[in-house]
Amino acid sequence: MRSGYDVSMFATKLNRIAIWTMEYGAKPGSIAVCFVLVALLWTFPLQHVIAYPFVFLFFAAVMGSAWFGGAIAGYLAVVLSTLLITYLFIPPLFSMTVAKDSQSYLAAFILYAIAISIVSSARRRSESAVRSARDQLEDKVRERTAELLRSNLEIQESTRQLRMLTEAIPQQIWRADASGQVEYCNQHLLDYIGGSAETLRDGSFFSILHAEDASHFRQGWEAALAAGGRFEVEVRVRGADGGFRWFLVRGIPQRSQDSQITHWYGIHIDVEERHRTQQGLLSAHEDLSRFSRTTSLAEMAASIAHELNQPLTALATHAAACRRWLQADPANVSRASAAADMIVQESTRAANVVRRVRSLLSKTDYVREFADLNNIIVELTRLLRDDAIRRGISITLRLAEDLPKLEMDPVQIQQVLLNLAINGMEAMMKINGPKVLEIGTHSRGQDEVQVSVTDCGPGFSEQVKSKMFEPFFTTKPEGTGMGLAICRSIIEAHDGRVWAEQSPKGSSFQFTLKVSK
Amino acid sequence: MTKFGTEVETVFIVDDDSAICSGLCDLIESAGLKTQSYSSAEEFFESWNPGMAGCLVLDVRLPGMSGMELHAKLVESDIFIPVIIMTGHGDMPMVRKALKAGAIEFLIKPFRDEELLQAVELAFALDRNQRRADQLVNSIQARAEKLSERERQVMNLVTAGLTNRQIAEKLYLSIVTIKLHRRQVMKKMQAESLADLVRMSERISA
Repeated sequence: MRSGYDVSMFATKLNRIAIWTMEYGAKPGSIAVCFVLVALLWTFPLQHVIAYPFVFLFFAAVMGSAWFGGAIAGYLAVVLSTLLITYLFIPPLFSMTVAKDSQSYLAAFILYAIAISIVSSARRRSESAVRSARDQLEDKVRERTAELLRSNLEIQESTRQLRMLTEAIPQQIWRADASGQVEYCNQHLLDYIGGSAETLRDGSFFSILHAEDASHFRQGWEAALAAGGRFEVEVRVRGADGGFRWFLVRGIPQRSQDSQITHWYGIHIDVEERHRTQQGLLSAHEDLSRFSRTTSLAEMAASIAHELNQPLTALATHAAACRRWLQADPANVSRASAAADMIVQESTRAANVVRRVRSLLSKTDYVREFADLNNIIVELTRLLRDDAIRRGISITLRLAEDLPKLEMDPVQIQQVLLNLAINGMEAMMKINGPKVLEIGTHSRGQDEVQVSVTDCGPGFSEQVKSKMFEPFFTTKPEGTGMGLAICRSIIEAHDGRVWAEQSPKGSSFQFTLKVSK
Repeated sequence: MTKFGTEVETVFIVDDDSAICSGLCDLIESAGLKTQSYSSAEEFFESWNPGMAGCLVLDVRLPGMSGMELHAKLVESDIFIPVIIMTGHGDMPMVRKALKAGAIEFLIKPFRDEELLQAVELAFALDRNQRRADQLVNSIQARAEKLSERERQVMNLVTAGLTNRQIAEKLYLSIVTIKLHRRQVMKKMQAESLADLVRMSERISA
């Protein structure tokens, strides 16, 4: 192993020496010899024609050697030329001695030759440096071009993959510019709306939305613009068959370096099924709660009616009998007075029924605690929000900030507010135009706070106004007529008042609560 | 047991509310009629006997068997008594059902005295008619039971429209014998004519 290593080391060294010898010995040597020989061969015939022709030819040989063989070859050529000239051409001929009068001439020759050799080899060096720099530059350019081509291909490929991805996703996707102009949409979206991308241009994006949802969408988008974030709205989108389906539309803004929005990316997710189930559940829930509310009330009313009807019937029959006994000829006074006793007894029984019902109703626990009325209202609007959105109603709050804390039964007051709010929302079901429910609070002097629930519904007639707070009075087909009556009893139990007013737009229900001292 | 036609007509009242019972009794008695009250449908049904003439004033809502159920049970048991139904809540389906089942009046509590008394009067008249009809059938039945086997045979064939000769051939008897039987039938049934006999036989066979 060791000897092998030595051998290879030696071989490498040898090789290096060979190259070195070739580069600095053989090659410049042979070049110099060749040029000088050529000059010599031409000088012999030419010396008979021109005096001292050797000078120029040998200069040329030095120049050529330095050019092609480098500085070493140039100097070698100078030496060879000097020797040959001294030997062959400078008298005395064929001797290395130089006559006295030719010495300056030879010296000039040598100096010129050396100068030529230096200049020529320097020129040669700078030229080859320029050439190699140019070559390097060219290489670099070639490399860059190849890189550019490759990255271009990569970009094309990734674009293609991205597009394939957008087509492969089973959702509808679009891209719009900052102003909302749709620039691209995937095939799913086009298939669904049954048109080309042109149908979505020039703001006609809204044309594929349900008329009722367009403003909702715009609001969501504008809110996202203002907040600078993404938006998410649920809207109905018209399909190719003209039918609408519910979609969750999610928009995400793309920003430039200076955080300007440059594009919007949108995705439509079909939520029709979920919506249907939800709607079904909601309406089932509503039906159920309305049903249970009305049936429990109806059952209670029926039972009270029966309880009262029995003594009333007994009363009526005894009274009729009493009259008959008295009208008989002769009048049967003892039977008549017995009947009268029964009348008294039965009227007491009827009164007891009424008393029992009353005590049953007042059985609910008496609660009075300090509560923030505005808080109750804010909480209530949270409860109502879904319902309001479904009905296309916006709820506005105008709450006075410096309300005193009031002593109340918060649950009951919330019930009153809920009742008034739902009445208001139901009143607005049939109107066109903006549906706004306004709930407001304000102080009324030092010792009262007033709450108003105002709708934009059709209002009510004077006739209705006079009866609306009475039990069993209703204008709704499924109403029990108990809602406002219960509201009034709750508010009156709080030492407050409740009344209705015609507002400029619809009806306004007001109630007051006392500030406790 | 009293004899048919001689019992006193009575208004039977079934209501679980004693005050209403006493009120109804008072009112009906002031009109000079006899009353009898029961607090449940079962109580009335168990104490019923064919001698109870008059009518039934029945409340719908009762503990145990309801008024409507009692009415249905009476019809099912072939007991004839005119029924006046009372209820606190007069919903139309119930009214229709009661009238369809044969109630003669439907009163919604509280009602006026005339309404009840008029209904009772109508019920009594109906009951009287029915009882008279029943009585007639019963007396014909009693007469028919006195006929001998042969006489009954002859009566059936005569009322079926056969001539004496046809009957004689059918029963393998002489015409003279048939004539004798026939005279006997007319006498026992107290029939004044052949048409009278036919009517009687229709009544008892119905």
